[in-house]
Amino acid sequence: MQRTLFTLAAMLVFSTFALADIARPDTTPHHTPKPKPEKLIDTEMDIRLDSDAKEAKLLIPKAQIKSLRAALEEMDDDTGNTAAVTSGGLSRLQTIVSGLFLSLAMVFGGVWFVRSGKAATKTAKTAVVALAIAGIATAATFVYANAGPPAEARSITGKMFSPSVHMYGFGWGRVKLGVAPDERIQLIVPDPKDKPSGDE
Amino acid sequence: MQEIRLQRFELTSSHKLLGGFLLACAAGVALIGSFPLQMSIATVFLFAGVHNFMEFRYFAARMPLKWGRSRAYYSVGIGGVVVLATAYLTLYFSSGNWLWSIDTWAAASASWNTAFVLWLGLLIYLRGRQRPRSDWTWAFPVAFGLAALAWIVPQYWSLSLVYIHPFVAMWFLERQIRRTRPEWLRAYHWCLASIPLFLASIWLAFASQPNLPEDTNLFWRISQHAGSQILSGISSHVLVATHVFLESIHYFVWILLIPLVDRKAIPWRLEQIPLLNGKGGFPKLVIAAFTVALVIVAVLWGGFAVDYTTTRDVYFAFAIAHVLAEFPFLIKML
Repeated sequence: MQRTLFTLAAMLVFSTFALADIARPDTTPHHTPKPKPEKLIDTEMDIRLDSDAKEAKLLIPKAQIKSLRAALEEMDDDTGNTAAVTSGGLSRLQTIVSGLFLSLAMVFGGVWFVRSGKAATKTAKTAVVALAIAGIATAATFVYANAGPPAEARSITGKMFSPSVHMYGFGWGRVKLGVAPDERIQLIVPDPKDKPSGDE
Repeated sequence: MQEIRLQRFELTSSHKLLGGFLLACAAGVALIGSFPLQMSIATVFLFAGVHNFMEFRYFAARMPLKWGRSRAYYSVGIGGVVVLATAYLTLYFSSGNWLWSIDTWAAASASWNTAFVLWLGLLIYLRGRQRPRSDWTWAFPVAFGLAALAWIVPQYWSLSLVYIHPFVAMWFLERQIRRTRPEWLRAYHWCLASIPLFLASIWLAFASQPNLPEDTNLFWRISQHAGSQILSGISSHVLVATHVFLESIHYFVWILLIPLVDRKAIPWRLEQIPLLNGKGGFPKLVIAAFTVALVIVAVLWGGFAVDYTTTRDVYFAFAIAHVLAEFPFLIKML
């Protein structure tokens, strides 16, 4: 056992020297990737509530498609890895491993709590219970923070304009994207008949 | 006839400890809060190497010659320090090349953090086994919970270690005072209670200060070390000042207070080191180790004088070994 541990430690020590020859990362602030500014085109848009429409439609004028295409080509030249750096949220691996450890914490904590009986001091028990509650409360914050807004904010309809959705400051939903011969961008929003009252 | 007794105030060594601590902290807050970058550079230059030597000296004095019942504990403790420090240095020096993608780096870093907390959990459990009528198996669920956090919020987890590390020295001192200077315990608890007030005064006084300049690599590294990238909503002036203030207390504890409390930790009193003077000890090895440690302190000063930024980076990479070494000795004192 001691020999195995010693061999492992020696391997790690020597791997440090072997890998130390590889150039160190240049971590100067000049090399921090900066996102390129968005390409913006000045235009106008009509938003129309249509009680006959079944789904939202966003129609872009043909003339503006060319400008968008040019902006797109310019953006394609940017080969930075900004997306990789700035992408948020938990990766799959993080979710799996953290879930595994949380489960182990609960299982071991539960077994300890049941088994401990008189052996553990009252202070230790209280501390662990407090820690567990704090941990669960913290996790609950994450869960709550991930809870989506109401259904009205998750589909592009006339209900999205109600005060109850305004508090979220954002919304999303499916939309048909198309090209139209008009000069202005058109957003046609379905307007169901059961309109929300102003008190909502 | 009623006897009247006058109680005179007597200035004891505890009062001197408390007064000295409060004065030093007040001066530290004013100085560090006003010049955080300069004080960061100065404190690391002056005290980093010396405090590492003092820690090494203290741990050498506490290490028993024969491990006896603590054999498993010290094997896991020292083995963990060697393996984790080596793995850390491997990660540090090998990152940033074609071998590592961002995801690989994040997974490797979280794996190291996981190994670190599981090692701590095991040490606490082993220490609990040495204490009669105690069950310290609670260490495992706590370690697993912390490991989960290391994967859920890796950046905050790593940053929390930077800020928690200075408090480990304060905890050490508390345990040492209990053993060798119990009359100072009450005064020391007042010292500890004053630290949040000093921190609050830094935050209140400097919260509105603009971010520190990051136009040189060194300034950027100092701000980044204090968490300016992770806590981007907080002025880096406050973050660096907070970190330097806590680190200064950490240095102050190891260099001055622990030798004051424990005579075995006075550097030139070598006669009470079991590994040096005990029967079956290793005097040549210990003397050689102390000599090498002193040479490293001198080399660090030379390195800082020649190329401060590079030496600082290299120092903080290797400093992980002393961060790790503190835990087995601290847990052993519980």
